[in-house]
Amino acid sequence: MDWSFRNDLPIYAQLVERLKLGIVTGELTPGARLPSVRELAAEAGVNPNTMQRALTELERAGLVYAQRTAGRFVTEDTAVIAASKTAMAESRLRDFLTAMKKLGYDRDGIAALLTEKKEEQEHADTGM
Amino acid sequence: MPILECKELGKRFGGVSALDGVTLAVEPGRVVGLLGPNGSGKTTLLKLANGLLTPTAGEILINGERPGVGTKAVVSYLPDREYLPDWMTAKQLMDLFCDFYADFDRERAREMLARLGIADTMHIKQMSKGTREKVQLIMVMSRRALLYLLDEPIGGVDPATRDYILETIIRNYNPEAAVVISTHLIADVEQVLDEVIFIRDGRIMLQSSVDAIREEKGMSVDQYFREVFKC
Amino acid sequence: MLGRLLKHEFRATARVMLPIYGAVLILAVLANFSFSLIDATDSLFLHILFIFFIVVFFIGVVGSFVLTVVVMVSRFYRNLLKNQGYLMHTLPVTVHGHLWSKLIVSLVWFFATAVFILIVFLLTGLIQTNTGIGDILSNFPSWAEVKEFLAESGFLGQGVLMTAELAVIVLVEALVTCLHFYAAMSLGHACAKSKVLMSIVFFVAISVVFSILENVCVIGFIAADAFDSIEHLSAGLGAALGIQIIEGAALYIASYLGLKKGLNLE
Repeated sequence: MDWSFRNDLPIYAQLVERLKLGIVTGELTPGARLPSVRELAAEAGVNPNTMQRALTELERAGLVYAQRTAGRFVTEDTAVIAASKTAMAESRLRDFLTAMKKLGYDRDGIAALLTEKKEEQEHADTGM
Repeated sequence: MPILECKELGKRFGGVSALDGVTLAVEPGRVVGLLGPNGSGKTTLLKLANGLLTPTAGEILINGERPGVGTKAVVSYLPDREYLPDWMTAKQLMDLFCDFYADFDRERAREMLARLGIADTMHIKQMSKGTREKVQLIMVMSRRALLYLLDEPIGGVDPATRDYILETIIRNYNPEAAVVISTHLIADVEQVLDEVIFIRDGRIMLQSSVDAIREEKGMSVDQYFREVFKC
Repeated sequence: MLGRLLKHEFRATARVMLPIYGAVLILAVLANFSFSLIDATDSLFLHILFIFFIVVFFIGVVGSFVLTVVVMVSRFYRNLLKNQGYLMHTLPVTVHGHLWSKLIVSLVWFFATAVFILIVFLLTGLIQTNTGIGDILSNFPSWAEVKEFLAESGFLGQGVLMTAELAVIVLVEALVTCLHFYAAMSLGHACAKSKVLMSIVFFVAISVVFSILENVCVIGFIAADAFDSIEHLSAGLGAALGIQIIEGAALYIASYLGLKKGLNLE
């Protein structure tokens, strides 16, 4: 797993995002057992307290659950994972739209650009 | 009770004040960065904590006790220089630590040394500088101490060694102990820290959690440090 | 803790002292060969070589005493006042422990060097005069004869007391010599600047003060007619011992304070 951090956000928040991404993309398979807090912290190069805080957040969000002696596991509830995926996608979409607006694209302009790119891609796929 | 506590701590050398009015507390389970430029008093503070210097004003307490034989048994210190007798072998070094420190985990030390490819019979003077530094770190982190004091553990090492050092610190984390890392290389250690203490010219400028600084100032501790300590 | 310190001290000092003893042994062997063969040849070159070996042997003997002192002093310096001090002074051990471990080990090595040299000379003497151990032993008076001699000469009583005093004085003087160095170095290194220079200054200052003190006492004794009888001589030795003990105690306190309060490693 690649762990790189931005400077302006708390690290635990970034850990939450990164782990969420892993769960949503299937990198961390549903039902899989997570390494211990210390192991995860060492992998990510972060303070174990910070990793603990991130995992607690994920537990609260229902993406991860803890079984007393067995450790922590990724949820098997596909509905929750799908909901998270949607929420993350919407957040990225919002960021995209804001960025494009800054460049001066209006809604039609964005739609036109997306269609153009889609046709280009299909052309390239069939041409290969 | 805080593991490390300073109350109006001061230290003068002749006419020069190295520390002045230092008041701070470090709770168990925290990894604290003692951050400041060279000459700000970081090393002096660490030396006071492990009894290598005596205060000229105020108090310093380890688990409520003044530095002495009792506190030395629970404090594990990594100085910023080479301090091991170079004629010793790795095994003799572990013997020494076993003899004097009840909390020394020999198995853990052996394991870490083995992973670095260091044989029991290797003499310290045969090791490269980088390896010696790692050995010193391994000895210090293999103790199940209550307070770890690391003076510039990553200064002057290559990035791979730096990662190794930080990973070792993380893996040896113990929620009943506190770790104080003194450094001026903030960006490299920030992720590992719970809290930071800014020190300048022997005075404490702030003590805060890393999260608080990022949330409130919207920038990393490294960036904030540069702002605060701008020349 | 002291036991562990002693073990560590012996280990660290033996690796320097034993090679010194080894070197002296080799020189002794060479010198013995030289003694034996010097008359057996006319070669000028060999004569010079043999004389060289013999001279070097005697230098080695004197040198081994000097080296013992040097090793003990530099051990204290390197181990407690330089980089290794970061290791030693953070061990959960008292300053008393450090001081006594160094003192005891130094004494043991002084004694060992003396015994070693004595044995080397004795063996050399035996070899060169072609005397066997058996010859020596047969010349030894029997235990009964020894007892008789002791009883008759009045050696028991005052004599034994004096011998004991002498032995203790030698022991205490050795301790005081060590402490002289230790105190000078501890105090010198408690200074902020010019640590080595200040150590030398302290060393000289202590020498001067003690010299004056001792000379004053000697003059006092002479004035008090202290040397006119064996009883007075014994009391005189007792007083000398007392002075040594006072000096030793003062130096110990100085060393202790220098290390405890004044420690300031680079």
